[in-house]
Amino acid sequence: MRRGERPLLQLPRPLLIAFAILLLCQLAYHHRAQRQIEAVYQGLTRPLSVASYRGIAMGSEQLLGYLLALRLQLHDNQAGRHFRYSLIDYGILIDWLDRITEISQGTEYPMLLASRVYSSTGDKDRLRQVLGFIERRFDDDPQKHWRRLAEACLLAKHKLGDLELALRFAERLAQQPASVKMPRWARDFHFLLLADLNELEAAIAIIQAMLETDAINDPDEQRFLKEKLSKFQQELFETQQQASE
Amino acid sequence: MPAQTISLFRYLMLGIMSRRLFVLIAILALVAVLAGSFVGELAIINSDAIVSAFVADFLRYSLGLLALLMIASSVAEDFESRQFERLLTMPLARWQYIAAQALVIACLCLMLILPALILVSIYSDLALGLYWAASLWLELFLLGVLGLLAILSLEKIPQAVFFSLAVYLLAKLSAVIILMLDESVRLSDGSVTSRTVEFIFVSMLYVFPDGNTFAQNDVFFENLDLLAALGNQLFSVTIYVLFLLAACLVDFYRKEFNI
Repeated sequence: MRRGERPLLQLPRPLLIAFAILLLCQLAYHHRAQRQIEAVYQGLTRPLSVASYRGIAMGSEQLLGYLLALRLQLHDNQAGRHFRYSLIDYGILIDWLDRITEISQGTEYPMLLASRVYSSTGDKDRLRQVLGFIERRFDDDPQKHWRRLAEACLLAKHKLGDLELALRFAERLAQQPASVKMPRWARDFHFLLLADLNELEAAIAIIQAMLETDAINDPDEQRFLKEKLSKFQQELFETQQQASE
Repeated sequence: MPAQTISLFRYLMLGIMSRRLFVLIAILALVAVLAGSFVGELAIINSDAIVSAFVADFLRYSLGLLALLMIASSVAEDFESRQFERLLTMPLARWQYIAAQALVIACLCLMLILPALILVSIYSDLALGLYWAASLWLELFLLGVLGLLAILSLEKIPQAVFFSLAVYLLAKLSAVIILMLDESVRLSDGSVTSRTVEFIFVSMLYVFPDGNTFAQNDVFFENLDLLAALGNQLFSVTIYVLFLLAACLVDFYRKEFNI
């Protein structure tokens, strides 16, 4: 059975006034706090030293490294809002990626975040920082990171428009020993970029060397290389013709 | 003698087994699955390994705390209900109580590792599931015996749980604490106080479990020799548990009960 209630107006007046004022205060405070949360982007803090993270990990260094990577990955989502990458300090971001790589040895995650997530920035300086990280960390494990360097090569060429940088990445891929297993196309970037840079003679020399040393066993790959060789030879011939005229 | 110890173990075990324990284990397993799924959704690559490692570590710490609370409350109840006085009027030696409690801890840990075995086997593979279950059993057993020593000495649940957790966490966080103390010595230009504190902590570590006594979570990401890791852990845990049991016996034999 419902207990009887007195009408609100019969309550002491000061109590009602105090209740109304406090309700307004609460609404105003909440509204202000909500606006502040929406407006303020919390920047990345600098990471601690590797030794500190190893100590905090309590023996689960790899797991901590991955959890830190996930936290970093979610950093641009704050208070239910997605913030632009332009707000992120890429210097600190690269520090974090380096730190995570050092905490969980052998992890691919920071390289993946660099090449797939943080490379989507429109700012060329920031993109250069990301590509610099990928190039620097590539030597940690070329077998694991060749994809990232290949992606970096494409980003440098198409997004950054820096063919010299792309060529440097492609050269590093091409120079990897045969023990590093990667598809031929990744090594082929080198002569393709040389051709783009109008270094046709160098590209032709590389293809001829590849065909002559029997390094290519796949018939499709051989056909592709021969086609490229004829194409480059033709282009070189035409260029030389134009120059002599 | 063994028959009496087994009878005492069965009696003590009945005190621990309850529906509440199984419900708690089921809830922890469910939370582990839900939290693991959430983490797995976030990961772009290696999500299987990340989820397995996360679930394994979540269960390690939550089940460790549960084991500690169960053991501490069981022994504390014996203190409160004057169980020791009753037991000592029977033809039972004090060491038999400790032996029975060690058996109870072993069986309790065996029950606690079951969700870890099942979940880790599902998320990764059976070999890793078996490794983690065996390794976790050793870690929980060590923590349980540490809890037994703490409750026998301190006789109060909060103090015993706090003490056991402090030793466990200090042992696990020893690397970062030493790093902080090193830094403190460096910043204070090698002051006597800082060096003394560092010396005391480093000395304390000699009676704490070392890194080998804990399950290695990195097995989920690296190709480690599981048997070698387990062998090392078994050796470290055996030495440390025997030391703890000896300490329990010394403490328990020193106690005076008004019979």
